Amino acid sequence: MVDLVFEIGGPQGGGIESAGQIALRAFMLKGYRVYGTREYHSNIMGKHSYFNIRVREDRALAPNLPADIVVALDAESVFTHYNDVGEFLVYDTGVLSKDIDSIQSMSKYLKARVKEELDANGVPHTVEGVIKLLEKRGKRLVGVPLRSLLKTTAEKAGVSLVSISRAINTIGLAVGMSLIGVEVEKLQKAIELFFAGKQKVIKPNVIAAQVAYDYAKQNFGGIHREVIPDGPHINTDKPRLVVSGNDVVAMGKIAGGLRVQTYYPITPAADESLYLEKFEDFPLTPEAAEKLGLERGGIVVVQTEDEISALNMAIGASLAGARSATSTSGPGLSLMAEALGYAGIIEAPVVITLYMRGGPSTGMPTRNSQSDLFAALFQGHGDLPRIVIASGDHEEAFYDAIKALNWAEKYQTPVIHLLEKAIANAMKDIFNPDLSNVVIDRGKIEKNPPKPFPRFKYTEDGISPRAFLGDTVVWYTSNEHDQFGRRNEDPVERIKMQDKRLKKFETAAKEIPLEDKVTLYGDPDAKITIVGWGAVKGAALDAIDKLKEEGINANYLHIRMFMPFPSDYVKSVLEKAETVIGVEGNALAQAAQVIRMFTGFDIPHLVVKYTGRPIFVAELVESVKHILRTGDKKVVLSLGQ
Amino acid sequence: MVSEQVKYQADTWKDWCPGCGNYGIITALEMALRELGIPPEKAVDVGGIGCSGKLPEFLAINGVHTLHGRPIPVATGIKLTRPELTVLVDAGDGDTLGIGAAHFVAAGRRNVDITILLHDNGVYGLTKGQASPTLGLFIKTKALSKPNINAPVNPILLALASGYTFIARGYAYHVKQLKDIIKAAIQHKGTALVDILQPCPTYNNVYTKEWYEQRIYYVDQEENWNPVVEKPEELEAKMEQTIAKALEWDERIPLGILFQNKTVPEYLDRLKTRIPFITELPPYRQPIEVDGKPIVDIAQIFVDKLVM
Repeated sequence: MVDLVFEIGGPQGGGIESAGQIALRAFMLKGYRVYGTREYHSNIMGKHSYFNIRVREDRALAPNLPADIVVALDAESVFTHYNDVGEFLVYDTGVLSKDIDSIQSMSKYLKARVKEELDANGVPHTVEGVIKLLEKRGKRLVGVPLRSLLKTTAEKAGVSLVSISRAINTIGLAVGMSLIGVEVEKLQKAIELFFAGKQKVIKPNVIAAQVAYDYAKQNFGGIHREVIPDGPHINTDKPRLVVSGNDVVAMGKIAGGLRVQTYYPITPAADESLYLEKFEDFPLTPEAAEKLGLERGGIVVVQTEDEISALNMAIGASLAGARSATSTSGPGLSLMAEALGYAGIIEAPVVITLYMRGGPSTGMPTRNSQSDLFAALFQGHGDLPRIVIASGDHEEAFYDAIKALNWAEKYQTPVIHLLEKAIANAMKDIFNPDLSNVVIDRGKIEKNPPKPFPRFKYTEDGISPRAFLGDTVVWYTSNEHDQFGRRNEDPVERIKMQDKRLKKFETAAKEIPLEDKVTLYGDPDAKITIVGWGAVKGAALDAIDKLKEEGINANYLHIRMFMPFPSDYVKSVLEKAETVIGVEGNALAQAAQVIRMFTGFDIPHLVVKYTGRPIFVAELVESVKHILRTGDKKVVLSLGQ
Repeated sequence: MVSEQVKYQADTWKDWCPGCGNYGIITALEMALRELGIPPEKAVDVGGIGCSGKLPEFLAINGVHTLHGRPIPVATGIKLTRPELTVLVDAGDGDTLGIGAAHFVAAGRRNVDITILLHDNGVYGLTKGQASPTLGLFIKTKALSKPNINAPVNPILLALASGYTFIARGYAYHVKQLKDIIKAAIQHKGTALVDILQPCPTYNNVYTKEWYEQRIYYVDQEENWNPVVEKPEELEAKMEQTIAKALEWDERIPLGILFQNKTVPEYLDRLKTRIPFITELPPYRQPIEVDGKPIVDIAQIFVDKLVM
């Protein structure tokens, strides 16, 4: 079974992003599932950036190391990733003499660690030194004269060298691809797909790919490694898309009927809004167009002055009748705390898509984290429940984006949809989403509302019918209020109104099916249970497979809804297991604490990672084995640059 | 004109202090809406926090009382979703020029068709008289233990710098004149500011009724006063004229329409360059489902992401 890791690194802003995107498409055309995680700095140009691409037949949901092939487009990539190399390193022979101290963009701490290791092995602090070290380790080293191949490409394309400098990425990528036998035609098609319509860019890159393949054939005897066969998804008629987590949430929101999105630019959330903006005027299906007599739909995307405005504006849109949402990350959510409470007391449906990054404060803005669970659950003052859901992968994120819009309107509440940078910026192949089972449920809406309107009418389930501003006369206030939305501090009515608001969440807890809240993967009778949430899912699913191969039977309990929390079910699963290991991407083990709060169950073993990098499959497997061996309470993970 | 039978003010007892300028403002607002023929269900009043923010509670039109400083974003969200509604903001100078100043500036940049009635009294009334953003430097009102050491912000200049396309000033006790100004502001297509000088008889014993009435005058009584920019080339001269008026304060205080720019497109018209049908089919009017089912096909929209 093919389970390949392909890593490509180079300077940010120099085409590394395109190279990764092209690689993903080429592997898809070869018939595989793909998952490409991106690491980058808060920087526009010059700092190191890389893609870790996982290629599998059945499921690719998490990054892994070591990488079968590392393509290092510059000297910094060699110094940064030589320990990632599993089999091949493709490097530029033009940088062999480069000394690590001459690289300004590289962190002094990483430099010191690398120099220490090079010294210990008696090799110089140059790329050549690293190559010698890898030779000792038995790695296969593929030196490519990138500059001279670029020159050949320029000559063949009949253009200047400067105008195609970025094609150097394609050359490095192509050499890497040739080593595992991905046909040049597939790579060239991937180039055409990625640069769709930009003929001036496509042509030199297609030529660059050919030049690189020709060079590899002549110099490395064609293929060094076992060629990967065509994958199971080759030439099928089931269309696949390659999407980031940001993209897929935008898609879900469009399918879910979003009509107003507000945002203030922030990493790693902004790309979702930009993508919505790109498709703000979109076609309806032919069937819907015929029924509605309407060809297109439109989403108003507003870039606001701050996140305070973003949530307040989305609330205004909601009161006037649109499905509305905003999208942000931790610092933005902090600013939204006030409006979150406002939406709570006036029972305004609104969705906040929250992309977690490394905190606290500005923290590590381009790095992964799961450290905003407490913020999502407890941000804001007063008795303020809300719905909090966390997606574990791109497909969950798509359907969760739609469900979040439904729940917001059905239960008239803010819904926080949690994702993390590891999903937001990771690229994944998905099948064209099946919408046949998707429902759009706007909840209770009064068709003939009286004037004035009892917007907060007491009901059995706590949910009062809505009418939109302008349908009749409707009143809202941020103060406590009576059934007509008029300020009221009567102690007896206060109990009724506060209880009504809380009752809605009991109703939601009852009505929302268990499969939307939590999933148990693997053998339900396994004696070991790994508990996780969010992007831990991908690493955990692979980990339980790998552990099984080694005779360890573990299952994975994937928590998706944190409020209302599926307490009874989670408790029953955890109590049944002999060993429970909590896995998450934050230092406090926030989910473990939330589980204790809602179930009383104290998770005895924890695996946490807060380096800002995603959890790699291999390190998770090792940590579980370590805990089983030692009984240690806590393992801190640190793999990845 | 809407019939006198139709109520614009709620039966609620208004808990403002006796002599509060807000009584004049709410009356002027009612008269303006009635005369413009805007029925209660087609108007929304969005309030901030404080004495001014209580207006929506005392009105019988749609009312959205919000958070301190936040009525402008909420009003913007309402207007963009359902443009057929007349959307008003009632907020104090603390709301608009202090805690919500970023929103006040952004409103001018967007030029959404909302009308902001700025209750300008120089004090935070409901928290018992602290200095607010329009109180002058070294002024000591009776509620302050020491003179104010913050300089005031000039709402007219700030609005002008932010791109407001309608800027006027009214006086809370001149109900009829204020009503006419509010009517013009509502009729203006774009963000309109009415800076309403509002005596706070309880806490501001400096900017009193007497103090104002010795100074105020109406600009339209001056010969040849014309604040309207009809063509882009007139902008500079009209702005200069408005700046001069905005700087008057200690001896004479101008009231009336100080600036109106008809050459700037309103926000929805700007959105139309992106979504051509948005004015006919604003978010509120757009269907999002047929029989509870989505009305889009992902692969049909996102062809740029297809790999096959």
